[in-house]
Amino acid sequence: MSSAVLEQFQQIGRDLFVAGVISSHGGNLSVRMGDRILITRRGSMLARLEERDIIETGLEENDANVMLASTEINVHRAIYQGTAAQAIVHAHPPYAIARSLMCDEIVPIDSEGSYLLHKVPVVHTELTAGSKEVADLLPRWLKEYDIVMLRGHGPFAIGHLLEEAYQLTSVLEMACRIMTIADGLGEQVKEYRKGSDRYETW
Amino acid sequence: MARRRGAVPGARLRAVRVPSTVYTRGVTPSASALRPLRGLRLDLSHRTSSEEELPAEVARLWLGGRGLGAYLALRERLYDVEPLSPENPLIFAPGPLTGTGAPASGRYSVTSRSPLTGTVFDGNSGGNFGNALRRLGWDYLVVTGALDEPGYVTVGLDGAGEAAPADPSAEPFAGPGDATLRPAAGLWGLEVPAALERVRELHPKSEAAVIGPAGERGVLFASIVNNRGRSIGRGGLGTVMGAKRLKSLVLGGHGDHKPTVADPERLEFIVYEAEKLLKSNPITSTALPEFGTSVLVNVLNQAGAMPTRNHRESQFEGAASICGEMLKKDHVQRRSACRGCIIGCARRTSAGGQTGEGPEYETIWALGAQCGVSDLTAIVQANYACNRAGMDTITMGSTIACAMELTELGLLPGGPRFGDARAIIELAEATAAGEGLGAELALGSARFAALYGRPELSMSVKQLEIPAYDPRGMKAQGLAYATSNRGGCHLRANMLSPEILGVPKMVDRFATLGKAGLLINLQNLNAVLDSLSVCKFTAFAMKEDYYARQLSAVWGEQVEPQELLLLGERIWNAERLFNLAAGFSRAEDTLPPRLLHEPVPAGPSAGQVVDLPPMLDEYYISRGWDEDGVPSAAKLERLGLTETAAAAGIAGSVPAPAGTAAP
Repeated sequence: MSSAVLEQFQQIGRDLFVAGVISSHGGNLSVRMGDRILITRRGSMLARLEERDIIETGLEENDANVMLASTEINVHRAIYQGTAAQAIVHAHPPYAIARSLMCDEIVPIDSEGSYLLHKVPVVHTELTAGSKEVADLLPRWLKEYDIVMLRGHGPFAIGHLLEEAYQLTSVLEMACRIMTIADGLGEQVKEYRKGSDRYETW
Repeated sequence: MARRRGAVPGARLRAVRVPSTVYTRGVTPSASALRPLRGLRLDLSHRTSSEEELPAEVARLWLGGRGLGAYLALRERLYDVEPLSPENPLIFAPGPLTGTGAPASGRYSVTSRSPLTGTVFDGNSGGNFGNALRRLGWDYLVVTGALDEPGYVTVGLDGAGEAAPADPSAEPFAGPGDATLRPAAGLWGLEVPAALERVRELHPKSEAAVIGPAGERGVLFASIVNNRGRSIGRGGLGTVMGAKRLKSLVLGGHGDHKPTVADPERLEFIVYEAEKLLKSNPITSTALPEFGTSVLVNVLNQAGAMPTRNHRESQFEGAASICGEMLKKDHVQRRSACRGCIIGCARRTSAGGQTGEGPEYETIWALGAQCGVSDLTAIVQANYACNRAGMDTITMGSTIACAMELTELGLLPGGPRFGDARAIIELAEATAAGEGLGAELALGSARFAALYGRPELSMSVKQLEIPAYDPRGMKAQGLAYATSNRGGCHLRANMLSPEILGVPKMVDRFATLGKAGLLINLQNLNAVLDSLSVCKFTAFAMKEDYYARQLSAVWGEQVEPQELLLLGERIWNAERLFNLAAGFSRAEDTLPPRLLHEPVPAGPSAGQVVDLPPMLDEYYISRGWDEDGVPSAAKLERLGLTETAAAAGIAGSVPAPAGTAAP
């Protein structure tokens, strides 16, 4: 693993924690390198990643390193096998998780969220962490949307680069914070976006 | 519109839907606007025409434009055809978005086997020609055979409501399509602008694609040109047209077959959202409209990625004199745009009492920095000379630069020298005329350098000159050149975006490994854009989901963004199969030795070379190809190309390497 790749993991892992979208040991990151995956170690602290916390294993086939890989390794594999993603970010952003408990899709009302997301589907499974059910479900949705919310658990975002997937995660959480604040203000929201009534169809 | 507090948009239940996967099962285009493709085939040798139809599934899998061209090139085994023989066709094809109102979608492709590279080759162009072809009711048009005497062919003039002028020498083709052969006595020999003007005088309601003197005389990098300055450039498809003695293909300009859009309201919504991005992105809303592509001169030069004097250096001391800002100040008369484009990167310019189109960034570089020339007026005039003749400016400039280096080495006595502004104009004109040294330059730099025993001085890949981005200063661009299916080209995938401009995000431009996946995704996406056919500049602002949603609205069928990328991968692999069948291999996936072994002498990229082999290994693994660059059996199966490969003599010859990833 090159120092540049390690640096990406470290910077984005740190940013996720500082932004408050993961707990001390929550979330996971991965990048695809040909027929291999680099993924964060099971139980690693994303804010304090070291080289030993980045586990390399096969995209299609298991090897001994799979023992060390994130609990979500099979979900990451399934996403890579089903899409052209080169990177995946999975976090536990509190405002987005809270909102996912109330709706089937999240349609931002702020400008940045509207431009970059339009809407984020919310999907659900009985077993939410590292399950075959999640591995079966998410790639289907990620064929159409670059970020999908797993109800009560958190979003999976894909990108050509780790930074892209991180950006989507960050924008979703910010959008949900803004919606929560707007809800709390108790006033009517004045629409400013032409065509926003069609965002649900995005 | 006001929204009540707590009223979460879209808070309705939605069933989990399983998106379609068209690669593993058949397509059922019922209740959609996806229709079989309707093609017209013109046989110049026998003056016959025929109508053909391809199933809707072909449209679904290959889209149109470049993808359809690749499909037909493989089906018709053009890898066994000599490029300048009558049997090598020219395949004109717009895409499913052409003429629909999608942003920057007024384009069409031409595909053939290139006489310059020997690869499958497509080029695409804006203007009105592609839209005119669709409005005549044709999804593609294939021109085969050759004429005995120079002529031009009109298609659909009567059908477009224009009665063809009475011409006793006109010879209607036997068959459908309202095609007529007309003698080119008054056209043959005319330069491109004059030829286009003459055609317009003869047929006022028409759209024409023409060749210039370069195509007539067999210059190996001749272009096909429409709408004054919109060119199908690079690989010599104008040379193929010239070999057929076909001066022009003229379409009735007012056909009444308006492209069908299944859901116009949906398309209008997506286009509105897309244009929001195009209007807010500084590249597409400001830089390109204000300066055109020449805005890149200073950007690339500051990065130490502007090849200079035949790639001996990567920064040009004269850049400030030839940059986009100077072009705007001293030469631009007005900006212009292709049909349906809100970016408007084209330029009408003047220089030395002449007027014309361009130059683009790559032209300024090729005739400027690459030749050590800092006289912008001379560069613009040399660009005009190329445009008048219908020649590719990148190959012209880089071939002159090769001659300049040979002169400095004492191998070309009396030849041009770096920095000689007059020489670039005179040599461009001599090349078009086939006179003196120009007759040798007309071969392109690879054949030209070989004539003088120094093939390594050609800055080309697969005999196509690499453009204005020094891969020693942006390493993945080197991999992009080496693996391009049509030879050294920045339009298959330009790593300028992530390595210099930060689109979608900035990456370490000097890093060797870790970028193959990103490059592959860009290659696949560009294959899609060329097949849709839309301008790649829209991708500075838009991601693949916007194109998928536009296509979904046009077809009335769900097309997912990831499905679109998979489709691009299919097209890319099909082109690879063509080239393998034509005899290409890993050996040709390389760069000029200079870029591999000669460190950049100074500037921000000082000391850099391209360490290609490990990049190529990573690329092949990521593609699911074996170490020789042959798609694995598993990859072919996954893409539904097993039978296609077998027909090309590749099926079953390649065992799937262990651990190969797909897709």
